[in-house]
Amino acid sequence: MTALKIDRLNKVYTDTYSGEEVTAIADVSFTVREGEFVSVLGPSGCGKTTVLNIVAGFVRQSGGTVVVDGRPVDGPGPDRGVVFQSHALFPWKTVLGNVVFGLRMRGVPRAERNATAEEFLKLVGLDGFAHRYPHELSGGMQQRLGVARVLANEPAVMLMDEPFASIDAQTRRKLQEDLTGIFESRRPTVFFVTHDVDEAVFLSDRIVVLSRRPSRVREIVDVTLPRPRRWQETAELPEFRRIANQVNDLLAGDENEAADGGARAGDAGGEPGAA
Amino acid sequence: MTSTASPTREKRTGRGPGRHGRGARRGLAWRMWRRCLRSGTFRTLGPFVPVVALWWLLDALEVFPESFFVGPPTVVDKLGELLEKGILPGYLSDSLTRLGYGVGFGLLIGLPLGFAVAMSRMVRRAFWPILLFFQAVADIAWLPIVIVWFGFSLTTVTFVLVYTIVFPLMLSVVAGVEQVPRELVRAARSLGAGRLRVFLEVIVPGALPSVAGGIRTGLGYGWRALVAAEIIVGTSGIGFMMFDARRVGDVSQVFLGMAVLGALWYALDALILAPFERATVERWGMVRAMEADG
Repeated sequence: MTALKIDRLNKVYTDTYSGEEVTAIADVSFTVREGEFVSVLGPSGCGKTTVLNIVAGFVRQSGGTVVVDGRPVDGPGPDRGVVFQSHALFPWKTVLGNVVFGLRMRGVPRAERNATAEEFLKLVGLDGFAHRYPHELSGGMQQRLGVARVLANEPAVMLMDEPFASIDAQTRRKLQEDLTGIFESRRPTVFFVTHDVDEAVFLSDRIVVLSRRPSRVREIVDVTLPRPRRWQETAELPEFRRIANQVNDLLAGDENEAADGGARAGDAGGEPGAA
Repeated sequence: MTSTASPTREKRTGRGPGRHGRGARRGLAWRMWRRCLRSGTFRTLGPFVPVVALWWLLDALEVFPESFFVGPPTVVDKLGELLEKGILPGYLSDSLTRLGYGVGFGLLIGLPLGFAVAMSRMVRRAFWPILLFFQAVADIAWLPIVIVWFGFSLTTVTFVLVYTIVFPLMLSVVAGVEQVPRELVRAARSLGAGRLRVFLEVIVPGALPSVAGGIRTGLGYGWRALVAAEIIVGTSGIGFMMFDARRVGDVSQVFLGMAVLGALWYALDALILAPFERATVERWGMVRAMEADG
C-alpha cells in the first residue's frame, strides 16, 4: 500500500523584490509505502524542507502532485501530522493539553482522548508529566512530546522536519533510538527530513538523496540493516558504514559538481528551516 | 566616583573582600540583603523609603515656603481629615467608577477591533490610515467637542477614556498576533484545527503577552486621561479635588491627590495586572519562549 506518492513535484519561487524566479525543486518523485520509514537527505539549502512543507500543505507546489492515502493534498490536514525542528508545542497548554489537541479538534470524547493520550505519553516515556507545561521539559522531552502529539492523532503519515537538529548530540542519539523503538513497535509511516547521514541510515528503510538546488532525486538508497536497531550494535555493522559511505559519496559528488558549475542557485526564499 | 571605584577593581583581582559582597565577606551581609530583597513588603515599599525621606528632609529644612510645599505629616493629617469627612472616599469611588466604565468599554471595543485588524488584511488596509489619523488627535483634544455633545457628564469622561485606551490596545493586539510563531499555527492546522479553532486556541493565547502589555499601557494612559478630564470637566473625583484645592490655595490636598493617584495605580498593578500576567504568560514560560524564538 502506498501511503504517500510524490509525482514530478516542482516549486518555483518568485523573489518579491527583484521579480527573479528561483527554482527550488526541479523534479522530485518518489513514494512512501505504508509502515515505511523514508528519509529525505540532501545538502543544506537543497529544498528538502520545501518538499516537506508541500506535503504538509503549508506551501503550494508549482507543478506535480502529492497524494496521501489516495487523496491529493490541498492544504494542511490531520492525516499529515508534522514534528517540527522548533518543537512548536503550545506553551499555554500542558503536556496533556498538547497531546489531546488533535483528538479534541476531531471531536473525540474526553474519556477516550485522555486514555489515548496516556497511552502515547507512556510510549514516548512522558507518563507522569501530563500536567507540566512544555517549558518545564528538557529539549529532548519536548520533542518526544511533539512525536506523541502527532502519533496520538493517528495520521496517515508522520512528517518530521529535522526534528533532532536543535538537540545536543548525546540526547539526539537517545532520541533516535527511542524513535526507532517506537517505529518498530507501531509501524507508523514516517517521512523524515534530515541533513545528518548517520541519522538517516540508522532510522530509515529507504533514503531519498536529493541533489543541490534546484533539487532532483539523485538516488534512492535501500537500507537493509536488520531491526531492531541499537546504535551500539547497528553502527558496528559493516553494512551501516557501507551505506553511510555510499550516501556521503552521493552528497560529496554533488558538492564537486556544484563547485565545477560555479554559481550557486539563489538562496532567497527557499528553505528557512535549514542551516 | 573614580576614587571609590578603583580600589574595588584592584581588590577584585587580588582575592580580598570586595566592597559589594564579592569574595569572603559576601557571606552574611549579602545574604541578609538578599533575604530583605525577597520579602514582599520590602519589595513593595522599600524603594519608596528614600523618596519619602528626601521629601521629609526638604520639608524639615524648609527649602520651600509652606504655602508651596508641605511634608508627609501634613499630608497624612489631611488624609485623615478627608477620610473622616467622607470626601476622599466619595471622590475616589467617583474616579474609580469612571475608570471602570472607560476601561470596560475600551476593552469591549479595542480587543475585537484589534483582532479584526490583525487577522484580516482587508480590514487592516481599510482601517490602518484611519487608525493612525485618529491616534494623532490626542485624547484631551477631543474634550472641547465632547463637552459640547455630552455636557459635563460621565459620558464625556468615559468617551475620552475609551478613546485613550482603544488605540494602544489595538496596536498591541496587532503586534501580538504578528508575534505568534508561524510554526504554532502550522502545527495546529496539521493536527486538524480549522481557522476558527486556530484563532481561539493559538492566535488569542499566543498574542496574550503583547495584549497584556497593551492593557497595562492602556490602563496607564486611561488613568492619566481620567485625571486630566476630571480637572477640566470637574464636578467630582480625585483630579477635581486637586484642581479645586489649588483654586483655594490648599497645597496639602494637591500633594495628597498626587500621592493617592500613585498609590492607587501601584495597587492596581500589584493586585490585578501583575497576578494576571503571573497566572498566564509567566506560567507558560512564554517570556523565555518568545525570546528564544526571536
